[in-house]
Amino acid sequence: MPKHIVRLILLLAGGLALGLAAKWYFTAGSFYEFGHYRADSVAQIAAHQPVFQTPAYCQGCHSERHAQWSAANHKTVVCEVCHGPGEGHPQKGKLPIPGDTRRLCTLCHERMAERPPTQPQIDPARHFPDQQCAACHNPHAPKLAGVVAEVTGDAGAGRRKHAESCASCHGAGGISPNDTWPNLAGQNAAYLVRILGAYKSGAQTDVMMSPVAQTLSDADIQNLAAYYAGLSCKAPASEKAAAGDAGAGKALAKNCAACHGETGVGANPAWPNIAGQKAVYLANTLKAFRAGLRKDPMMGGVVRGLSDADIANLAAYYAAQSCGAGAKPGKTS
Amino acid sequence: MKKLEAIGALRARRLFLRRIGGAATVAGAAAAAGTAGLVRKVAAKSESAAAEKSFPTPDYDWTKRKWAFGVDATKCIGCLRCVEACKTENAVPLTAHHFRTWVERYVYLEGEDRPRIDSQADPVNIAASGSEREYRFANRYKDAKVEKAFFVPKLCNQCEHPPCVQVCPVGATYKAKDGVVLIDHDYCIGCRYCVQACPYGARFFNEEQGVTDKCTWCYHRITKGLQPACVDACPVGARVFGDRNDKQSPISLFIRNNRVHVLKPETGNVPNVFYVGIDKEVS
Repeated sequence: MPKHIVRLILLLAGGLALGLAAKWYFTAGSFYEFGHYRADSVAQIAAHQPVFQTPAYCQGCHSERHAQWSAANHKTVVCEVCHGPGEGHPQKGKLPIPGDTRRLCTLCHERMAERPPTQPQIDPARHFPDQQCAACHNPHAPKLAGVVAEVTGDAGAGRRKHAESCASCHGAGGISPNDTWPNLAGQNAAYLVRILGAYKSGAQTDVMMSPVAQTLSDADIQNLAAYYAGLSCKAPASEKAAAGDAGAGKALAKNCAACHGETGVGANPAWPNIAGQKAVYLANTLKAFRAGLRKDPMMGGVVRGLSDADIANLAAYYAAQSCGAGAKPGKTS
Repeated sequence: MKKLEAIGALRARRLFLRRIGGAATVAGAAAAAGTAGLVRKVAAKSESAAAEKSFPTPDYDWTKRKWAFGVDATKCIGCLRCVEACKTENAVPLTAHHFRTWVERYVYLEGEDRPRIDSQADPVNIAASGSEREYRFANRYKDAKVEKAFFVPKLCNQCEHPPCVQVCPVGATYKAKDGVVLIDHDYCIGCRYCVQACPYGARFFNEEQGVTDKCTWCYHRITKGLQPACVDACPVGARVFGDRNDKQSPISLFIRNNRVHVLKPETGNVPNVFYVGIDKEVS
């Protein structure tokens, strides 16, 4: 064979060998394992650690809150949507509790034509524009007990039942002789129906009320509610001075006003009027909510931050208001 | 003499060709033997892999899954919690130009025959949220006469025939066996061909890292039995994820029980994100 051909072949072979060696050297070990890519990179990507945990992770420590949330209608909004990712919590510190709920909640609930009509929406300019959402709504169970029960009872039958079962504690005219029991005269009928039903069903319990309520029929409850709602709520001034400072209570009452009204006469008949109510009863009830003895998704959240002094002040303020006199605030959308 | 020389040359040529032929036969046999050996080796390897451990992690075998994603635009409320969750989960740069998933808004006003389209990256929406790090749709059509309007969440379609994979010059992006298109950030050279190739605009260039990035359906989560972060975060169930090999998985039921549509079917990419409730203008 001519020499120049041999040289050419050798050169080509050398180049090929060099090229293959370079390719072998520069190609990562796992490159062609499954295809034209590095198989190791799949495992690398899969090895990243999740930042968002799941509600199951939160449940470990916050079981009570988890139970409340998972039973209510915000159960599709997982913890970390509002509180941020759980990675590193609790080791690295606390997760934020959103302060500006008005801004947070309107992300989903501001009325927009683009949103499906099934989504609950509000007009922020008209729906209590000065209030934080969390003042009335418990973010973990936001639906208010605001469904107004229908009251069709007969006040006359209610008066007979009252004399028979209730008057000994709540007073002949629905004005209780004892500071620890509530006045019922002039109370919202729809609220009375709801609360008596709760005592009857066991959803709410009280050593005195539960056995009494269990003897009542649904018709009795309707009649009693109609009877009390029609009574005058004017009570004789309590001889005992209230324990709290009504002035300080007035400042705190701003947080209650959206539901119970600034003077204790609320917007929605499903919620109780508290103007002129017994101060001791009001304070006891707030403490019962705080301790979890009395359960209400909204009240439980509202009273969480109140001190004993705050409660006394609030009770003194609302007890000093005159009931039923002021015009009821209009219902807001 | 000339004749003899010519015969000699012919002989030489014949000899040369014979030698080359012989060499080729030998090389062919060697190659065949080598391939057979390789095939045996690969087979042995995959057998042992199946017997010993699954790939890519001990608890996750990518040959057993066929992931798919569903979007029900009729449920989306445009709260953008998915976008926020995605950015946090995947450390996406917090600017208005980098998104693994995003939400578009289509609004048809009375008397107009084309929708007005914006996303959370629109300056008006950034102004409403207060910063590029927060996401909120401004209520900009509050006083307009809206005939029809809806939100459409978007993300990588993890196509069956991904054009982004086709154009990558270095094998840094590929289709995993479970259907997800992944990016090898160690191999990506940042040429951005894939960003150009994607007809859905699903890819972006991460200037901080010098690599391309995109939605992976949270591959690190789905390989651990979790849902993608956006699916977990969605409060209205507008995002559905699951394994198509499981006929009772949420995505299988979603595809079976709805009339679904994919984006830009004419491209032949065969997307794996299935939409319900979108209009012809959505692409």
